[in-house]
Amino acid sequence: MVQSKKQSYLFLAFCLVPTFILFAVFTLYPLVNGLYYSLFEWSGASSVGEFVGFDNYKRLFSDEIIPRTILHDYFLVVAKVIGIMILSTFFAVALTQMRIKEAPFYRIIFFFPNIMSVVVIGILWTFIYNPNLGLVNSGLEFIGLEEWTKPWLGSETWALPSLVLPSVWAGIGLFMLMLMGGISNISKSYYEAAEIDGATEWQQFWKVTLPLIWPQIKISILYIIITTLNGSFIIVQVMTRGGPNNSTHVMGSYLYEQAFVKYNFGYGATIGVMILILSLITVVIMQFMMRREKVEY
Amino acid sequence: MMRKGMSWFLLVVLMVFGLLVGCAPGASSDDGGEDAEGEEPATDENAEDGEISGELEIQYFVGGYGDSWWKEVIGDFQEEYPDVTITEHAGPNINEEMRSRWVSDDPPDVVYIDGAGSSETQMVEDGQLMDMTEWLSSVELEDGSKLEESFIVDPATYDGSIYSLPLVFDTWGTWYDNAWFEENDWTVPSDFPSFMDTMGQIKEDEGIAPFVTTGQYPYYFLRGVLYPAFGAAGGDELLTDVIEGKEGAWTSEPVMNVMKKVEEMQKAGYIDDGFGALNHTQSQMNFLLHDNAFIPVGFWLPNEMANDTPDDFEYGFIPSPMQDEGEPGAIVPDLRPLAIAEKAENPEAAKAFVEFVFTKEYAKSFSEHTGAIMNLQGVDLASSDEVPEFLKKANEMINDPEQVQIYQKPHPMSASLETPISNSLVSLMLGNISAEEFAEEAEKAASEYRQSLE
Repeated sequence: MVQSKKQSYLFLAFCLVPTFILFAVFTLYPLVNGLYYSLFEWSGASSVGEFVGFDNYKRLFSDEIIPRTILHDYFLVVAKVIGIMILSTFFAVALTQMRIKEAPFYRIIFFFPNIMSVVVIGILWTFIYNPNLGLVNSGLEFIGLEEWTKPWLGSETWALPSLVLPSVWAGIGLFMLMLMGGISNISKSYYEAAEIDGATEWQQFWKVTLPLIWPQIKISILYIIITTLNGSFIIVQVMTRGGPNNSTHVMGSYLYEQAFVKYNFGYGATIGVMILILSLITVVIMQFMMRREKVEY
Repeated sequence: MMRKGMSWFLLVVLMVFGLLVGCAPGASSDDGGEDAEGEEPATDENAEDGEISGELEIQYFVGGYGDSWWKEVIGDFQEEYPDVTITEHAGPNINEEMRSRWVSDDPPDVVYIDGAGSSETQMVEDGQLMDMTEWLSSVELEDGSKLEESFIVDPATYDGSIYSLPLVFDTWGTWYDNAWFEENDWTVPSDFPSFMDTMGQIKEDEGIAPFVTTGQYPYYFLRGVLYPAFGAAGGDELLTDVIEGKEGAWTSEPVMNVMKKVEEMQKAGYIDDGFGALNHTQSQMNFLLHDNAFIPVGFWLPNEMANDTPDDFEYGFIPSPMQDEGEPGAIVPDLRPLAIAEKAENPEAAKAFVEFVFTKEYAKSFSEHTGAIMNLQGVDLASSDEVPEFLKKANEMINDPEQVQIYQKPHPMSASLETPISNSLVSLMLGNISAEEFAEEAEKAASEYRQSLE
């Protein structure tokens, strides 16, 4: 039976309209709302706000802390992309290719941090970094590297790098599973053929595995970038609240401080708009950079 | 087709935008005034028959002081005015939870302003609190004396008007473990030189950094150590200039001298170098565990840490000893006010409640319940067995001008000024910048703050 045009439109509407309404209410509305508030000087705690046009945006460009927060965010992005991708690729290859007997056990262990809330992870790691009782400093003392101990999260220099470890630790599992899925889809015959041609394991990884799981790697990298730009706020807020002396503020935590601590809700919304724009630009650039022909053998 | 899709999208965006304008913050403060007038008739109705009735909503933050005192007072008020239906909004996160009510101009009637997420200054700037100047002059205590003359510390004024009544007289100071000090024969410091001596002694004896504070909330040090130091160095005037960010205040000589002292403490290694990452609970835990010997916190410390305090620990409280040799100690009270919302729906009941709370009887029971002092003069604490020992001593000390001078700040420092100054302060206390650099950064923050007010 051939559907009439009307019927097919009705069906389409039936599928799309509810989704679109939800999308409008939960995504478009807050988005536009944020844009709108960014034009106000508003404390966020009263009904009185003053329309100030683009004043908040002017302020954004003269705020000395903003460039630092952006830098911190991208530092975390780069460190996390490198750390997570190297480790998760390594583990994925090791668990699928090296015929380790305990592979399922390790899979669970590595995935474990992913089922924990980031808040819990943050609190856990503040204890690990605790200058007096923490695992890191006691570990260093134990192996005789006492001069390396420092108040990790309390130091303006070391606080931000210290945040990388928990973020990487928390991220590995998910991407490892994604890459393992990709690797297990590669037919064994490629490796056999490569082996007959005399390729070493290293060459097999570079010439066979990597090109064939490139789509998964690409998605993983984009996902890390987006979640870091939007979500690094949580770990910063839990572990350092942006301190000491703004040395760990990322855009999100600075937004929070402005909007809810210093009562500059309008300015906070402006920072939100900046995060949106920067995330979009970054993702577009990364898409462009990681463009590659799809490989098939 | 594409173009049609685009125009649809634009239309929707426009519609959403249109909807928003209806529910966004009002564009001018004039609206507020009209609304308030509109509600006047309701007020009169309640007051007409001379009876206090209707619904009374009370918002109070529950923190280190607990809520047992509030339960008692509210229970008694209910008995006194049975026609009033009381709704309590209370808890440690109540300021966040009630924010939407304040934003939508439907605030509770009475609010106790305390804890994270609340700011008296901000509420006054936003016009959310009722001007009580006139009403206050008519309120009398049970013995006939005027309430406005019975406060230990007078209400904060904003351009001469009073918007809140200081309920809790709290004060910051420096804590130590009396038992531990006696055991080791350490001298309790009384001025800055003796403070440095004692800290040096403790560092030598125990191998610890004697002083700790929270780096995540640097205002503990600002309010607990620097304010009194500024008070001792330049009196109320300097304190006011510093809090209001007056030009040149942060680079002035007395301020520089104080900051030099902080630098000295840091350079001597007396400030725990891990303090930067500690939140207030962690720093207080370290203090209780004898990882450190001194910590600046307010009166609420023993109550807040009651469950974690070791049995042999004996809280001792001194005014933060930052003043020069031979001068009396200095404290700067920190007041937690009670206020009535500008848009209270039942202002008569709200006023009755506020009047009801300010009595000497409740002031005494406040100290028994919370270990802090209510802001009323002439309350007899010494006779009560339930008031903790440290508080009796502190109360005695506060009332002896030879030992302790009380300095008053005009109002709390605005968060827009306090945050950047606190950040630089952490840097100074970590030894990353010098006192001079700190003063420069603070002066710059003050100038930005002044600009933002214009």
